[in-house]
Amino acid sequence: MSLPLASWFPTTLACLLMGVIPTFAAKADKSVPAITSVKPVTPLPVVSPANAIWHVWHDNQGHTVEAMFCGLSGEFITLQTRNGQTYHFNGNILSPEDIEFAKDCVQKMRASSFTQSNVTSAAADIDRIVESVLTAQGQKLNAPATDEQFMRRIYIDAIGRIPTAAEAQAFLSDRNSDRRAKLIDKLVYSPGYTMQMFDWMADLLRVKDAFAKGIPAFTFEDWLKMRLATNAPWDAMVKEMLTADGRLCDNGASGFLLFDAEMPLDGVANLMTTFLGTNMACAQCHDHPLAEWKQRDFYQMAAFFGATDEKDEKMIGMVRKAVAKDEGIPKNMVKKIADVNAFRLEDENRQKLTFPKDYKYKDAKPLSLVSPVLVTWNKTDAALPIYKVDTTKPAHLRSEFANWMTSPQNPRFATNIANRLWKKAFGLAVEEPVNDIDDLSKSSSPELLAHLTQIMVSARFDMREFQRVIYNSKTYQAAASPSPDLSKGPYLFNGPVVRRLSAEQVWDSLMVANVGAVVDNILLRRGEDIKQMSLPKGAITAASVKQAYENMKAVGMTKGALGKAGGSTAGLATGYEGEKPKNRFGMLLARASELPQPAAENHFLRVFGQGDRLLADSSTNDGSVPQVLMMMNGGIGKLVSDAQSSAIVAALAEKTREAQVNTLYLSYLSRHPRADEMAKVNKALSNGLGLTELAWVLANTREFLFVQ
Amino acid sequence: MNLPISANQLRDPLARRAFIERCAKISFGLTVLPFFTRLAEAAEAPSAKAPNASLPGFGKAKRVIFIELAGGMSHIDTFDPKTGGTKGPAAPISTKAGFQLTDFLPETAKVADKIAVIRSMTAKVGVHASAAYLMRTGFEQRGVIQHPTLGAWAQHFLGASSKTLPSSVCVGRSSNHGNGWFPASFSPLPILSPNDGLQNAKSFSDADTQAKRADLLAALDGSFGAKAEDENVKAYNEFYDSTFQLMKSTDLKAFDLSAEPAATRARYGNSKFGQGCLLARRLVENGVRFVEVSFGGWDMHANLEERMKELGTDFDRVFAALIQDLDSKGMLDSTLVAVTTEFGRKPELSGNGRGHHPLVFSTVLAGGGIKQGIAYGSSDAKGYAPEENPVTVGSLHATIAHAAGLPVETEILTPSGRPFMIGNKAKMVPGLFA
Repeated sequence: MSLPLASWFPTTLACLLMGVIPTFAAKADKSVPAITSVKPVTPLPVVSPANAIWHVWHDNQGHTVEAMFCGLSGEFITLQTRNGQTYHFNGNILSPEDIEFAKDCVQKMRASSFTQSNVTSAAADIDRIVESVLTAQGQKLNAPATDEQFMRRIYIDAIGRIPTAAEAQAFLSDRNSDRRAKLIDKLVYSPGYTMQMFDWMADLLRVKDAFAKGIPAFTFEDWLKMRLATNAPWDAMVKEMLTADGRLCDNGASGFLLFDAEMPLDGVANLMTTFLGTNMACAQCHDHPLAEWKQRDFYQMAAFFGATDEKDEKMIGMVRKAVAKDEGIPKNMVKKIADVNAFRLEDENRQKLTFPKDYKYKDAKPLSLVSPVLVTWNKTDAALPIYKVDTTKPAHLRSEFANWMTSPQNPRFATNIANRLWKKAFGLAVEEPVNDIDDLSKSSSPELLAHLTQIMVSARFDMREFQRVIYNSKTYQAAASPSPDLSKGPYLFNGPVVRRLSAEQVWDSLMVANVGAVVDNILLRRGEDIKQMSLPKGAITAASVKQAYENMKAVGMTKGALGKAGGSTAGLATGYEGEKPKNRFGMLLARASELPQPAAENHFLRVFGQGDRLLADSSTNDGSVPQVLMMMNGGIGKLVSDAQSSAIVAALAEKTREAQVNTLYLSYLSRHPRADEMAKVNKALSNGLGLTELAWVLANTREFLFVQ
Repeated sequence: MNLPISANQLRDPLARRAFIERCAKISFGLTVLPFFTRLAEAAEAPSAKAPNASLPGFGKAKRVIFIELAGGMSHIDTFDPKTGGTKGPAAPISTKAGFQLTDFLPETAKVADKIAVIRSMTAKVGVHASAAYLMRTGFEQRGVIQHPTLGAWAQHFLGASSKTLPSSVCVGRSSNHGNGWFPASFSPLPILSPNDGLQNAKSFSDADTQAKRADLLAALDGSFGAKAEDENVKAYNEFYDSTFQLMKSTDLKAFDLSAEPAATRARYGNSKFGQGCLLARRLVENGVRFVEVSFGGWDMHANLEERMKELGTDFDRVFAALIQDLDSKGMLDSTLVAVTTEFGRKPELSGNGRGHHPLVFSTVLAGGGIKQGIAYGSSDAKGYAPEENPVTVGSLHATIAHAAGLPVETEILTPSGRPFMIGNKAKMVPGLFA
């Protein structure tokens, strides 16, 4: 179908530049023109998958434990045992040999990544493509960002927070020519990287402490944190989520599909958007009015999940029956135990999805059984080898689908994640909106998107390596542009876009300024709590339900909607590993990823736009007066004005007033004050204000809230 | 800043407007760049040209108080008394208007001539969360999209309602994505506890320190703010300015219940619902357009008589006080009060309570051009099914929207390109307007 285009409708740059797209591809013809670059990009080696490193660890008391190495940050080490439990602790309790072994592990993990020269050449290809697109439009890349600007940006993007004054000072005094590349490497291999990726992904995957049915989903959070900490490739993570079996208490990865339990059609629409950038939600109820998707396409796609059962109804009955005469367990707890054990993923031998009873098109009969068929974007897609799936065994439909979806050959899977990660670094995606990239010719630079896709595939979906490449590009390291007016044409990436920090980035930056870098070692892991509610396999007896109830009581899961782990601030504080968070002015001082998911609606994080996670991509960066009130007068305002805050403690360690002011500037704005600023501050400090008030002022500047 | 649309999507009126508004940053009643807003309005059919604009009652309601009795109010025991086998514990009583209520509602009976009872509400959903979602938004709940409240629709079509106060507030409940697909700045401001009012409105420092800090902030931040051409940075500059203004402004008093005369406070009573309705009245009086007030506890599966004596009595007193208060202040003609609930309750008693019953139930509208002293539609003798003039939840939304001057049959496109109308294409009910 064709749509009327307004006269100011922008022409894509690609057609001017390359002459390969004569007109907009009509909706009916989705074929994407072959992309011929100005000069072929340097082929990248394919990175080898990182192997898990298992080891029997010895502490300095002679105890041993077999565990997988997950990460080392400063003195803190993270290990995972065979039962899936993770441990985060100060490594100084390990034997000296094992401390050395852990350091070797870090090197081994890095060895499987791109070499610096691979990264440099892939980044140079990005720069060349961006610059050729800019040149064709008479534009230029912005001037390089200063070291101060670059440092603040890379800290925020790579580890989700600003640097401490000491971290900032260390980088700014480094005069080596490779200091930027070194800093990038240091940051993407630090624990803050995992926290930052978790926040970003929690918004994408709708990570919530409790699903609508009231089932706690802490194991899903733990699973995601662990997979990110071990730098699991994106394709492997998605495959684990799509093929997960069992209950949440057995398998955290089942959380993604169980979010939409009893709404399997919504679930399929959501996963198409999240993983493929395909907006099929309309086709769920009728033929898509604007795109090619037919309702039949949607149902055929959903049929791949038509043999998957999400709720064990028998379990509910068995639990109720087992405790029918037992007055000792409150009814709501019986329901909770029943639900936690009943919601699970299990494939049956029958595909049950039928067309709806009011199906109104001629291409299928209402209520007839749907045959699974994979969706295509392009006429030639169906000929790809990955489209040869075996649909004869209903119990295998889900894994057939997952193989197709996560393949590098899938027409959208790699592009979707590459486009989303580009947006994460630049503030705008190559193709917007990220949840609808069906027509790749509409992207602001099809060639750039194709190149990013290729990097993602070469990196074997290693998101850390992919981002390392982006961060090393001149395009990323250019000065930022103001938010472009997209009505005047697409943004061609003269540099990153000035943007307000995400809610999590603002919060985490305030945390590091007030708690110090140690905040990266405060880890919340609550999966064990819901495992207490699991009933043993086999017959359900009054005794087993009673036992689950007693277990719940023992860990405090019977109080509040989510028990201790999701309930009161003080109760939550008991669920931490590694360092423990302080509780100040009614706030737990831990990073956003280590707090309830999402935070309560009146929490700083939510007021600043953390999503409610009911839908994917629900966070915002919009401003509001309540945000400003909170910064100025709320608990956060008090925290930054507190003499105990680490930024102020660091400043007071300096002897001269100038040095103190300089340290506070580094703590909040990651830069030295200019002479005129120093003069103004000096005047104010002589006029009755103290360093605590200066901290309040710096935290309330726009410069603090924005990344340039 | 997230721009959820690409340039080529800007042809969609909603997407274009959303984009322009993101640049213009309307939030908390603040229009940063009025020029852009006018542009956005000019780009669309103004609501005055709406097809429903010529019908009676259009636009009389300048403000709406939307009460949600969460849990499912029993229609038979309140606004739709029955005398047969399904009669509840309370006896019917006569009112000033032509219809009866139960004697759980003696005070409401005294203002019956000011209100319209709809006795033929009908829906299909009998699950709390889904039914409450439907009643709040006019749309069935889905896992792939969030629908807006009427407050957000109104902000879309009419713009912000106040210079300093938010256009929508919800009292005693969370906002729960009330903006739907509209910008986050359309989300209602949640006031969880009416007595506490607006959070963080007062500084923790003395006046002298406050002033010195503000001066230093202005001196130091000037360079960044002025240098940045970024619209979002400019918007934040404005937010700071308007926050400083708000903290000094008398508008803050809108949130302060202690400013109300003792006699009025007493009339509303000290219950959370009473305080919530009093706050709602103060807010709409000061420029907030749409206030939701939530009042939970109506899920009376057991002990219905006892619970009704408690909750019903609280509701009865507060609701009557609100109507009388608005009336005596001359605001009732321009303020629509809606009493809603997610569903009714079963005609047959089960034990000493009633189960969920969406097939027929009652709601109430009052003020804002709504006909006074009528019972609209009816249920059958048992209170089981609608008999006359059934009204869907979508129609109720269209009716309130019509009263509020919104174009009910105008289609908008969401940023993802999906077309929607207020009330999901349902028609407004002309019989409810004078």
